[in-house]
Amino acid sequence: MSTLMQWAESLEQSALGEAIGSSRYAFPLIEGTHLIGLSVAVGLLFITDLRLMGLLLKKVPVYTVLTQLRPWILGGFAVIVVSGLLLFVSEASTMLAAPTFALKFVFILLAAANAAYFEFIIAHKEKIQNNPVIMPRKVVFAGATSLVLWSLVIICGRLIPYIPNW
Amino acid sequence: MSLHDTLITLQNSGLAHLVSKSNHLFGAALQIVHVSGFILLLSSLVLVSLRILRVVLKDQNLVDVTNDAGRLFWWGLGLAVTSGALMFISTATLYAYKWAFQLKLALFAFALILQFTLFRKVARSDATNPLIAKGTVIASLIAWFGVGFAGRMIGFI
Repeated sequence: MSTLMQWAESLEQSALGEAIGSSRYAFPLIEGTHLIGLSVAVGLLFITDLRLMGLLLKKVPVYTVLTQLRPWILGGFAVIVVSGLLLFVSEASTMLAAPTFALKFVFILLAAANAAYFEFIIAHKEKIQNNPVIMPRKVVFAGATSLVLWSLVIICGRLIPYIPNW
Repeated sequence: MSLHDTLITLQNSGLAHLVSKSNHLFGAALQIVHVSGFILLLSSLVLVSLRILRVVLKDQNLVDVTNDAGRLFWWGLGLAVTSGALMFISTATLYAYKWAFQLKLALFAFALILQFTLFRKVARSDATNPLIAKGTVIASLIAWFGVGFAGRMIGFI
């Protein structure tokens, strides 16, 4: 654990970490960028999930929603990853010490596993390309799981400053 | 009654005391609701904007997409405004004099006016002049993104 903390502190003391840490505006601006990326990526993902669950955009074929929103979701995620890394570099030890930071990544991994299972197994098996009116239960379940997991990611992320230690 | 007196009265109200004297995790819960509301609102705005610009779902009826996304917009706005108002009254005198908060409110007011005037028109007809449609979408996205940026600044400045 101490080696991990030493690495975290060395990250904070790096040129990039110090540049972000010493600037009055850098950290909040990067946080703002993280929030906007989140709104685009996770926001459009929520819309996709709600479509899978049959609660939104019912007239739009599922396959159309999936394929057309995907590039924007991935683009948003690219913004989240870059801004998230910059935030981490400037406050690595604080983040590693926070339990909800670790929990956030557990939920991200679970959400990624759910997305991979949906994309590579369910989406092919259930032939959602044919756009049935009522989605198979597995599809509805995958959408609901994604919605819950990404909500937990957001909750954990926002809790980081409020629960700083284990 | 001056602005400062009004802020003090707000801050001393029963509801404000309920928020300010509660466990700090209640404050965290309000923050989570605030961010979640903003994400819902923006996701709806981004979807409709991309559809207006014919970048996504261009074969779908614009009014159908706007109506469906509108439900998310109203939920998001309701959650963000309610949680925001509760956070504000708990420490009104602290928030009100911060430039980041004032900027956020100004951008929010501008974004709302735009939303219920030009954006509403553009989001209801594919026949709008493309230049006006593009200008409205860009101005609206800048205003709402600005609300998010200014909001993140409040805690730091």
